[in-house]
Amino acid sequence: MGDVLVVRNLSKRFGGLRAVSELSFAVREGETLALIGPNGAGKTTSFNLITGYHRPDAGSVTAFGREIVGLRPHHICALGVARTFQVARPFGNMTVLANVMTGAFLRDRRVDAARRRAHEALEYVGLAPKEQALARDLTTIDQRRLEMARALVTEPRLLMLDEVMAGLNPTEVDQAVALVGQLAERGLTIVIVEHVMRAIMAVARRIIVLDHGQKIAEGAPRDVVADPDVVRAYLGSGYVHGC
Amino acid sequence: MGAVEARASPRATRRPAVWIGALAVASLALPALVTTPFGMDVCVRVLLFAFIGVAWNLMGGYAKQLSLGHAAYFGLGAYTSTILLIRFGISPWIGLVAGGIVAMLASLPIGWLCFRLRGPYFAIATIATAQVLMLLFLKFRGFAWGAEGTTIPFLGNAPLMMQFSGKAPYYYIALALLALGLLTTYLIERSWMGYYLVAVGEDEDAAQAIGVNAPRIKRDIYLISAFLTALAGTFYVQYIYFIDPNTAFSFNVSVEAALVSIVGGIGTLWGPVLGTALLEPLSAFLQSWLGSSHAGVQLTVYALILMAVILWRPTGLMGLVSDAIRILRRG
Repeated sequence: MGDVLVVRNLSKRFGGLRAVSELSFAVREGETLALIGPNGAGKTTSFNLITGYHRPDAGSVTAFGREIVGLRPHHICALGVARTFQVARPFGNMTVLANVMTGAFLRDRRVDAARRRAHEALEYVGLAPKEQALARDLTTIDQRRLEMARALVTEPRLLMLDEVMAGLNPTEVDQAVALVGQLAERGLTIVIVEHVMRAIMAVARRIIVLDHGQKIAEGAPRDVVADPDVVRAYLGSGYVHGC
Repeated sequence: MGAVEARASPRATRRPAVWIGALAVASLALPALVTTPFGMDVCVRVLLFAFIGVAWNLMGGYAKQLSLGHAAYFGLGAYTSTILLIRFGISPWIGLVAGGIVAMLASLPIGWLCFRLRGPYFAIATIATAQVLMLLFLKFRGFAWGAEGTTIPFLGNAPLMMQFSGKAPYYYIALALLALGLLTTYLIERSWMGYYLVAVGEDEDAAQAIGVNAPRIKRDIYLISAFLTALAGTFYVQYIYFIDPNTAFSFNVSVEAALVSIVGGIGTLWGPVLGTALLEPLSAFLQSWLGSSHAGVQLTVYALILMAVILWRPTGLMGLVSDAIRILRRG
């Protein structure tokens, strides 16, 4: 099993703030890797650096053995890295179907083929009954489903999910977990940023913990949550002495 | 927008064929019914500005790149064909295409500069490009007649030189241009390009995340929009027999192009046509009625209409029409 994504010494400053510093990690083919950490730890910034939305100050990112720093987002997507956004960003005035068709055109410019493939993707995420609705009328969970369908229809080999479960109720979280689990079973490599610990424990094989833009822990979910450094990052140092 | 929604129901595509047929017959027969030159002039202007609106709408409407500098391409089209005609004796029919190509070439550096900006900053930058071109042509005294401009030599009835004794041929040329613009829009709207344009207009970052090459699609639609706008410029000069920088690069052309689309329904196939059909006769009427005593009154009315549309009906007249159809179907 090779590494699908290799991040080396990635750094980014915003003014005086070190958003990400010297971050290195690798994602193995077929695994589900979770990126966790308190607010402002640099998770979303890392996503933006990897997918071409921000340019890193230093470091390299290789996807499928190819350097992707400096490539534009659409190019990175064409190489097989799809992402979703922390706040869902549907094309509000388009129908759900048209939203997903837009993604489908990346691999096939024919409208009929795009419609068919978009429909399949919507079936897969369970949004097919609402494909004629306007995207802006969708509920939060459905907007997340739409983002997933739109990403999947670009036929990614690596899927990067940025807090797809934020704002969902417990039942919806279970549905989302099941969906991510299904994708992982199909062999898709997934990097997921998440706050909902229950979801992370259910889907992730491996966890990387970020704090202040740096990696402070890495390993199997059970080991990571027991790590004193991780507990300190989330709860403050007082709690570590307590246990 | 409306386009991508409309496609949702396949039924909606059948019936318009009848309407378009009826509309085509009516517009072909119109010159036989309108007898006064003033009436014909209004008709030609409606078609011409509808066409400019359609050209603008491809970029400003579908991709929401609100350009207020389309006069740049209108003027380049006008000057290219006029210079070819007067300096080299080349027919405006060839000048028409040459003007379009010059406009396309000009749109590349202009787009390269302006597309770095988004929203209102983009709009302001495009205004500047049209103004700069106007200043340039004011300076080209030897080659392009400077501020005085020039008249087009009158040749009588010379169809090969795009000159006609009556107004009807001009009407049919403008109609053909509009048909070309609408057909182009229709084909783009139905293809992957239409989806990409609307997606870029909705959320450029999100579009890039699913593989849309936003800079390229914006460049491409700007090329097409500039080409079509230049055709209107050539035609307009041949129609009024006069050119000077203030007419060719007039800010009014830029504004009108955006205005008819916004009032009619931005990002819809028929929006600019509907908007022009309302605004252009209104403006002609107001100018002939009040223009001498209350100069500028039609601008005031334009402003009021625009404010009303943006406040109450951001989807324009097309939104009004589609709402009405929905209510009728339900009832």
